[in-house]
Amino acid sequence: MTVTPLTLALVALFTPLGAAALIGAVTPLRRRGTPAAWLSIAAVMVTLGCAARLFMLRLAQPDGELLRTFAWLPSGSSTLAELGVRLDGVSIPMFLVLSVVAACVQVFSLGYMADEPAPARGRYFAYHSLFVFSMGLLVLAPNLLELFIGWELVGLTSYLLIGFYYQKPSAAQAAIKAFWVTKFADMAFLLGLILLVSVTGSFSWTASPPAPWATAITLLVFVGVMGKSAQFPLHIWLPNAMEGPTPVSALLHAATMVAAGVYLIVRAHPLFALSETTLAVMTSIGAFTALFAAVIAVVQTDIKRVLAYSTCSQLGYMIAALGAGSVMGGYFHLTTHACFKALLFLGAGSVIHAVHSNELAHMGGLFRRMRLTGVTFMIGALALAGVPPFAGFFSKDLILEAMVHGERWLPLAALLAGAFLTALYMTRVVWLTFFGEPSTEHAEHAHEHGALMVAPLVVLAVLSAGAGFFGKTLAAVYGLEYEFSLTPVGVAGSALGLLGILAGWFAWGRPGKTTRAFELVAPLGTLARSGAVNRAWELGYRQVLMVAAELIAWFDRYVVDGVMNFIAWATLRLGTRLRRLTTGNAQDYVYAVVAGAVVIAAWGIFG
Amino acid sequence: MEHLLAIIVAAPFVAGVLLLLVPEVDRLMVRLVALCGASVSLAGSVLVATHYDLAEGGLQLAASYPLVPSLGIALRLAADGWSVSLLLLTGIITFAGVLASWTLRERSKEFYVFLLVLVAGVFGVFVSQDLFIFFLFYEIAVLPMYLLIGIWGSSHAVAKDGPFHFVWKLFDIGGREYAAMKLTLMLLVGSALILVVIFAMYVEAGQHTFDMSVLGRARYPRSMQIWAFPLLWLGFGSLSGVFPFHTWSPDGHASAPTAVSMLHAGVLMKLGAFGVMRVGMVMLPEGAVVWAPMVGVIAVVNIVYGALSAMGQKDLKYIIAYSSVSHMGVVMLGAATLTTTGWNGAVYQMFAHGIMTGLFFALVGLVYERAHTRSVPSMGGFGKAMPAVAVFFTLAGLSSLGLPGTAGFVAELMVFIGAWQSAHSWWAIPGILGAFFTAVYVLRTVRMIFWGPGPAARFDELADARRTEWGALVILGAALIVFGVYPALILDFINRTTPHYLGAVKELIGAP
Repeated sequence: MTVTPLTLALVALFTPLGAAALIGAVTPLRRRGTPAAWLSIAAVMVTLGCAARLFMLRLAQPDGELLRTFAWLPSGSSTLAELGVRLDGVSIPMFLVLSVVAACVQVFSLGYMADEPAPARGRYFAYHSLFVFSMGLLVLAPNLLELFIGWELVGLTSYLLIGFYYQKPSAAQAAIKAFWVTKFADMAFLLGLILLVSVTGSFSWTASPPAPWATAITLLVFVGVMGKSAQFPLHIWLPNAMEGPTPVSALLHAATMVAAGVYLIVRAHPLFALSETTLAVMTSIGAFTALFAAVIAVVQTDIKRVLAYSTCSQLGYMIAALGAGSVMGGYFHLTTHACFKALLFLGAGSVIHAVHSNELAHMGGLFRRMRLTGVTFMIGALALAGVPPFAGFFSKDLILEAMVHGERWLPLAALLAGAFLTALYMTRVVWLTFFGEPSTEHAEHAHEHGALMVAPLVVLAVLSAGAGFFGKTLAAVYGLEYEFSLTPVGVAGSALGLLGILAGWFAWGRPGKTTRAFELVAPLGTLARSGAVNRAWELGYRQVLMVAAELIAWFDRYVVDGVMNFIAWATLRLGTRLRRLTTGNAQDYVYAVVAGAVVIAAWGIFG
Repeated sequence: MEHLLAIIVAAPFVAGVLLLLVPEVDRLMVRLVALCGASVSLAGSVLVATHYDLAEGGLQLAASYPLVPSLGIALRLAADGWSVSLLLLTGIITFAGVLASWTLRERSKEFYVFLLVLVAGVFGVFVSQDLFIFFLFYEIAVLPMYLLIGIWGSSHAVAKDGPFHFVWKLFDIGGREYAAMKLTLMLLVGSALILVVIFAMYVEAGQHTFDMSVLGRARYPRSMQIWAFPLLWLGFGSLSGVFPFHTWSPDGHASAPTAVSMLHAGVLMKLGAFGVMRVGMVMLPEGAVVWAPMVGVIAVVNIVYGALSAMGQKDLKYIIAYSSVSHMGVVMLGAATLTTTGWNGAVYQMFAHGIMTGLFFALVGLVYERAHTRSVPSMGGFGKAMPAVAVFFTLAGLSSLGLPGTAGFVAELMVFIGAWQSAHSWWAIPGILGAFFTAVYVLRTVRMIFWGPGPAARFDELADARRTEWGALVILGAALIVFGVYPALILDFINRTTPHYLGAVKELIGAP
C-alpha cells in the first residue's frame, strides 16, 4: 500500500494535536509526567518520520504542488474562507526543519526538565505537542488566513511556555508582555488580511491587488512579521521571553516560531514582490535590527539574553535579504540558523543546568568539565559567526551577495558590521563560559548530563557543521537555481567574522583582561541596558493606556451613570413636589374642577 | 414535530410550575426537576437543528395557536436559521446555568421557578413569529430578573464620589436592590418605546394581524420608518447594552447570582440585539439604512469604550460585565454593516459571546464563592489551588480576545470583514483595536488572579471545580472550541437566513 503525501501530512499534523489533547484531558497521564513526555516525543517522532518522507518524495519529484482545501466560512452563496493543506517546495523543507528541531528539543527536555515536579512536566509536554501542531498548521497553510490561525496559536503556546513557571512574577510578566506585543502587531496583520480579502476576494498570496493596496496590505502584514520575528522596535518581548525553560527558548524563541515571520514573507513572496516600498522598508528594518541587536548582544551578562539578541539580529539578516529580493538567501539562512541557534540554546541549557545560573559571571572553565557540550557549542558559535565551512557561512554569504546585487549599500555596511559583532559576542560567550577559571561552586562541580541531553546536541552540531553544503538540495526542492561561488563580499564577511573572533579573544580571552575589556564597552553597555525602546513602550502602556482606562472607567461610573442616577433622583424629587397637590381638602379639589371647567369653556368659546 | 417549538418554550415553564409542588426541603428533587426542564429544551433545540432543512431554508416547524382572533394575535411559532443558532445557545446556557448554581442554598426552589420562567420567555422570543407574542415573551424574559437579583443577589460597597455624589448618597449604590431596580427601570423604559413602534406598525400595515411575515411585507412610509427605527434601536438596544444606556449592566451583573449573570449576559443581552436586527432592520429597512451610520458609530464606541472601562476596573464582576458591553458592540457593529458577512458575524457573535460570557460568569461565581472577594488586586496564585478554573478562565479569555480556534475569532473576523466592506470602512479599525484592548485586560486579569505567588495563605486551600460545576465548565468550554474550529455547524443555518432578511436592505442601498 502506498501512502499518499496528503495522508502523510495529515498524520504529521494531527498526531501531535492528539497527543496534546490526550495529555490535557487524561489527568492521570498528565500528573505522572514521564508517560506524557514519552507520548509527546512519540508523536513528534511520527511527525519527523512523515516530514522526512515528504521531503524525500519532494526530492525525487520536485515539480508541482499538492493543494487540498475545504470551505470553512460561507458568506451568502460564496465562500469567504477556506482551510486545508498545501504541500510544495516552500512548505516541505520548513516542515522538516520544524520537526527535526522539535524532536531534538523534546528529547533534550526529557533530561533538562527531569527535576521538575511530574504534573508540571506533563503540562510542559502538552504545550510542546500543541506547539508542533500549531507551527505545522502555519507551515502547511494554503492561504494567509490559515497561516494567521497557526500564527496566533503558536503565539498562544509561546505565552504558555514563557509563563511555564507561572508562580514566578517575572515569568508571568514576560509571558503577558510577549503576548501583548505580538498581538499588537497582529492587529495590523489582521487588518492587512481584511484588506486583502476585501480587495481581491480571497486570502490567497497569489492574488494581485492593485498597486496602492498591495503596498498597504504588505506593510500591514509586515508589521505582524516585525512583532513575531522581533524586529526593531517590536523586539522588546524576545529578551524577556528567556524567562521560559531553555529548551523552549531553543525551539520557539530561536529556531522556529520567531522565524515564522520570515517564513511568512517567503511564503507570500508573490504578494510582497508587488510593492517596492515594502521591500525597501523590509531591508532597512532588517539591516538596522541586525546591527542594533548585535551591539546590545555584546554587553549582555546573561547567556540566554546574548543569544536572544543574537536571534533578533539574525532574523534581521533574513528579513533584509528578503527585502533585497533574495528569497533563497532568507530561506537558506532561516534553515541553517534554526540548526545552529537551537544548538547554541540547548548548549546553553546544558550549561545552565550544570551551574544553576544564567549569568556569564557564574560560569567559566567548563570546557574541561563538559567537553561534548563545549565542542558542540563552539561548532554552533563558529556557524553563527559565519566561519567557513560551517553552515552560517554559506547562508550569510548569500545574504551579503544579495545586498550587493540589489545595490543596497547602507544595509550591506550594517550587515557587515553585524557580522563582525556577531563573531565578537560569540567569542565572548564561549570564552566566559568555557575557559578561564570556574567562578562558582556549581561551575567547579559541573559535569555532562547523560545521553538524552547530549545526543540532541550532537545531532544539531552535525547539522550546523554540514547544512551549508545542502543549499543546492534546498534550492532544488524550492525550485530555484543555486550554485555556491566565492565572491569578494563573502570573503569580506568571513574575514570580518575571523577578525571578530580575534578581537574577542584580545578583549576577553587573555587572563586578567576581562574587566578592562568590559570597561571599554561600558558606554555601549549603558546605552543598551537603559532599554530606551522598552521604556518608551512601557510609558505608552502605563501613562497612556492605563491612564485612559482609569479616566474612562471614572467617567463611566460617575458621569454617564451619574446622569442616569440624576434622572432617577430628579424624578423622585418631582414626585415629592407634585404630591403636595394632593392636599386631601375637598374644597381644593372643587376649586380645581371649577378652574378646569372655566379654562375648557374659554377654549371652546375663543379657541 | 409540529409542536416541537411549543414544547421547547413550554418545558421550562411546566418545570417551573411542577417545582411549586416539590417540597422545598427536597433540594435534590428541586434541582432535578429544573435540570429536566432545561434538558428537554436543550434536546428540543438540538432536534430543531437536526430537523431544519437547510436546502429549503426559510421558516420551518411552523405552528399556530390562535389567542385573540379579533386583534389578529396568535401564538405563531416558527424557526429560521437565526432562531436555530440562538435556540441552541439558550439551551446550552440554561443547562450549564442550572448545573453551575447547584450549590445555591437560600430559597433554591423559588430561585429555580423564576429562572425557568425567564428561560421560557427567552425561548419564546427566538421562535415567535407574532409581534405581540414576541413582545410578551420579551417582557416575560426581562421581569423575573428584578426578583432574581433583588432577592438572591449580592451587595458590594461602592465609593460614593464624583460629580453626582449628592445623588449617590440617596441610593444604595452597589446594593442588590439598587441594581435590580436600576436594571428593571431602564429596560422597562426601553420596552415602552418598543411598544409604541409595535402598535404603529400594526396600525400602519392595516391588516389586523400581528403576524410578523405580514407586517414584514408591509411597505411602511419612509417618514414613519425614520422615527420608528431609532425608538426600536433604543428600546431593544438598552437591553443589549448600547452606549450610553449600558450602565445597568455592570451593576446588574455584579449583583446577580451566578446562574442569573450567565443567563443575562449570555442570552438576554442577545434578545436586545436580536430585536434590533429581526424587528428593526428586517422589518423597517429604510429606517435601518438611514440610521445605520449612527448605529455603527455607537457600536464602535461600545467596543472601545467598553474595553477601556473594563481595563479600569478592579472588581472581577465589573470587568466581565464591561467586557460584555464591549462585545455586544461587536454584534451591533456587525448589524450596522448591512452586509451578509457582517450580519452572519453579528449573529455568530451573539452565539460566541453568549457561550463565552456564560463560561466567564460561571467561573467568576466559583471564584467568588471560594475566595469571598471580587477585588482582583487582592487575589493571586489561584492557579495552583484551582487549576481547572484557571484553564477554563484562560479559555474564555482567549475566546474573548478573538484567538483563532475559538468561536470568538470566527465572529470577530466576519464582523470586521463586513465592516470593511460596508460604506464605512474605518469602523473596522477601532473594532480591531478593541480586540487588542481586550487582550490587555483579559490577560492582565488572568495573571492577577491565577498567576504569581499569591498574596495570602488563606487562598492556599481554595477548592477546585466540583462535579456539577465541572459539567457546566466542560460543556461551555467544549462549545467554544468546537464552534471555533468548525463554525459551519451553526454558521450554515445563519448564512441560510441572512441573505433572505438582508434582501430588502440591499435593494435600498443598491448592493449586489
